Amino acid sequence: MKWISQDIDMYIKSKEYVDTAVLPLFPVSLGDDIKQTAAMSEFISLLSIQLERQFRGRLVMLPGFSYLKSFTEDKLVNDIKLWEKELLSKGFKHVFYLTSDSSWKTIESQFEGGLIWLPSLPLEHMDEQYKNTILDDQVKQLLQLFLQKWQSGE
Amino acid sequence: MSKNRVSRRQFLSYTLTGVGGFMAAGMLMPMVRFAIDPVLQAKAGGNYIPTPQKVADITEVPTRVDFTFEQQDAWYNSEETGTAWVYKDDKGEIVALSPVCKHLGCVVNWEGDKTKPEHFYCPCHGGLYTKDGTNVPGTPPIAPLDVYPYIEKDGYLHLGKAEPKKGA
Ligand code: FES
Repeated sequence: MKWISQDIDMYIKSKEYVDTAVLPLFPVSLGDDIKQTAAMSEFISLLSIQLERQFRGRLVMLPGFSYLKSFTEDKLVNDIKLWEKELLSKGFKHVFYLTSDSSWKTIESQFEGGLIWLPSLPLEHMDEQYKNTILDDQVKQLLQLFLQKWQSGE
Repeated sequence: MSKNRVSRRQFLSYTLTGVGGFMAAGMLMPMVRFAIDPVLQAKAGGNYIPTPQKVADITEVPTRVDFTFEQQDAWYNSEETGTAWVYKDDKGEIVALSPVCKHLGCVVNWEGDKTKPEHFYCPCHGGLYTKDGTNVPGTPPIAPLDVYPYIEKDGYLHLGKAEPKKGA
């Protein structure tokens, strides 16, 4: 389900079936890596759309969490922990973070939720059709990952 | 000369009517379009969307067919993707099913669960459908998968808008 009122109505009605929250992580920088952070955010936001479509009945796709690349690790850990605490206390059993920014990998172990890290692909040079095929492939791989987590958590 | 002369009053009234007419038209046209467009759109909605699937290549095993089309959200156009599960039934007739689970809308996969062969499986809450799209009682879905109307055009499968299965 998307973070829109119509889908949230559905969520409220069928809460018992929705046990997973996904938070996309969007890096922002206005320095040298401005282009890189934009590409990462673009890739993750497209992927989150496809992922939501595949699993819309069981997960809520939260609006993304944007952060400055210049933030310290401590700040990022603290912020995400606040999200995590809130989500877990409000009935979500599984929390996933979706990102292309590899700096999360070093702090991943401090979270209860799972980090899904995917290298961002150079989408800007692909035509629409090819883009969709690529994203579909990625979602298929994520399908396995989600199924595993869901099964192990039951 | 004085016969053809346009008086100042006439001149003004001509030009103002002209300009006024333009302005009125400028205001009215979008309003008329606004009123009529949805009607035109409804007609366009009956169109069949081409898919990359050759009709001759369709087998009795459900195959995933992806297609793209222009979606009109109000007056905003965007490229959308659609998916269908396509196969030929016992009578050799083409069946194109919507992959959207009738429980809460996840995407179902043919034999998505290895322990449930010959079924469509929904990974979200274990919804099951038989090959013809009928929901298996005891699993969450309460209706069969939607069915796409289809036509064959130049050897390729074209799909309409998915509808609830008839007789259900
Ligand atoms: S969304 Fe398919 S079984 Fe719940």
